Amino acid sequence: MAKWGMVIDLDKCTGCQACTTACAMENNTLPGESWQDVLYYHEGTYPSAQMKWLPRPCMQCENPSCVHVCPTRATYKDMDAGGIVFVDWDKCIGCKYCMIACPYGVRFYADEKPLLEPDLREIFPSSNGQLWSPPYQNPEQDWKRGIGIQPPGVVSKCTFCYHKVSKAPAGTVDLDEDIAEVKEYVPACVRTCPPKARFFGDLDQPTSQVNQLIGDKHGVRLKDHTGNKPQVYYLGAGAGVPAFEPKPRS
Amino acid sequence: MNQQNILKGPAGLGLLVLSAIVLVASFGYAFMSLSSQGHASFNTSSTLPWGQPIATYLYFALASSGLGMIASLPLVFGFKQFYPVVKRAIFLAFVILISGMAVLAMELGHVFRMIWVIPFNLQIQSAMFWMGVFYVADLIFLLWKLQKLENGEWDSKTSKQVGIGSFLAVLLASGNLALIFGMMSMRPFWFDGLLPIYFYLTAVASGLAALVFFTYLANGFSRDNMSASLQGLLDGALPKFFAAVLGGTLLFIAVRAITGLYTNNPEIYVVWRDYLFASSTYQASLWIGIVLPFVLMMMASVRTSTGTQVLVSILVFAGLFAERFFFVVGGQVVPLFKGTWEWSLIQYTPSATEWSLTLMGSALLFTLYVLGERMLNLSAEPPVTVGQASTSGGVAAHA
Repeated sequence: MAKWGMVIDLDKCTGCQACTTACAMENNTLPGESWQDVLYYHEGTYPSAQMKWLPRPCMQCENPSCVHVCPTRATYKDMDAGGIVFVDWDKCIGCKYCMIACPYGVRFYADEKPLLEPDLREIFPSSNGQLWSPPYQNPEQDWKRGIGIQPPGVVSKCTFCYHKVSKAPAGTVDLDEDIAEVKEYVPACVRTCPPKARFFGDLDQPTSQVNQLIGDKHGVRLKDHTGNKPQVYYLGAGAGVPAFEPKPRS
Repeated sequence: MNQQNILKGPAGLGLLVLSAIVLVASFGYAFMSLSSQGHASFNTSSTLPWGQPIATYLYFALASSGLGMIASLPLVFGFKQFYPVVKRAIFLAFVILISGMAVLAMELGHVFRMIWVIPFNLQIQSAMFWMGVFYVADLIFLLWKLQKLENGEWDSKTSKQVGIGSFLAVLLASGNLALIFGMMSMRPFWFDGLLPIYFYLTAVASGLAALVFFTYLANGFSRDNMSASLQGLLDGALPKFFAAVLGGTLLFIAVRAITGLYTNNPEIYVVWRDYLFASSTYQASLWIGIVLPFVLMMMASVRTSTGTQVLVSILVFAGLFAERFFFVVGGQVVPLFKGTWEWSLIQYTPSATEWSLTLMGSALLFTLYVLGERMLNLSAEPPVTVGQASTSGGVAAHA
């Protein structure tokens, strides 16, 4: 079985948020429930101030702290699904301990105050146990893997678009949108990236594009000191997160 | 001896009715809010998922553990002067834990699912799994111990064995509760291997506050209604023990604050500087809720008076509640990996629904407690203690 990994080249990323939008459309997430987001940072001061940005999906860690803390095994790492970390919505009790334990802030409890008004959950109320029912909804659903629109009271997260990736022909090494035979199976954020800053493939295959990029361009993992060992690697300058600095006091 | 337990009379009935009304009203409000808005009725968010209901649960669970440890003083370690409060301490530990669990149940996304998914999935790597195991064991031992005392078995071999089992369950439960926070290296404000010691100390402090307050309440805030042995305890060991525990608590807060402020890690020092010490509520809870009670309990001339002890118990009650709140929220106020989406500490003020859960837990505690006072003899003591006290402590108390 493959071990799916993602590579994001920050020298190519323009921070356009197309990935964020594609993810929201593909997975029917609510505003603020950004399974995929591009975060912006300021670092330093004039004259050397920098503005940085960082696309941030779930890292699908090799050693995921969210899985260790979950008291019900609702959150689990599925080695038969390429090592993707899923949430079983039929087991999640909404204790939110995984959100505390995730160093990357990539888990969401959408049963909260809306980020934007009007509240989409009120405009498109659900009658089938989901948190909401938009006019168009991706027909792919698998609550055992946290795919679809979640019921209230559970945690949701990026699934590496497993509903697409899982349909790739066996033995696929590179899921690249430029390869016609597999482009339908490429995760939405990778397929839509205009500057082609994202790559997706099998980390267990030495010849895969992702492995070559990591090796050739010095790929790094974020917050590697946590020991979580992400399956998402970053290339290029600025692959780091500045330390938190509070707003200057007035 | 239960000479004058006012809660068995009309005052108790009045308090019971009042508590029940507050309980029904607060539960009704919380239930309606949660039914209509879900957890959107809380002010928590994906960036700050644990709020006041978790702090309330933590407060109640640790107060219960503290009471369990106090009950172990006579039953496990032989400090027999604590016999006069042991039965009340055990009962209070039980009802406070039930109240805390009720608040937690309303906070979870799917509480009833928890009943089957936790035992059927046995995720032994999770501290939260062990929290369930140890607190259930704690509840069982508390009930068992209460049943032993109810049967008059104060000193039997089984009673001692149950007492030891209960003490171990309490240590495991509250120590593990501390590690739920203390093992989170990605939350540096909490990450601390010694957190269980801090939780033990503050647990006993809040347990003592509860015990002193409810003991006085049962006796109409009058020493004259108390047995001689109980008066002896309140004049002697208890206030000194209270002072020692508050002193230890302050020492621990000081050490955490000093190391926190000294470090260059902004995820720790910013929390201490810009969240805790910048808050007048935290300052008040620290100085009025912990430092002042410590000073009062250190003053031999005032620490034995009824007024001082009741005041100290109320102040510590409030002070430690705030301490729990700032601890839980403080571990989350630095935004995790949010960049300029959250370019400041995360703001959090509990919503009306969250306050109603705190009120509900408190009202449930009062309701169950008054019921216990009316249906059981929580002032019971072993006959030998009463005899000893009437010849020693009792004389001192009247002197």
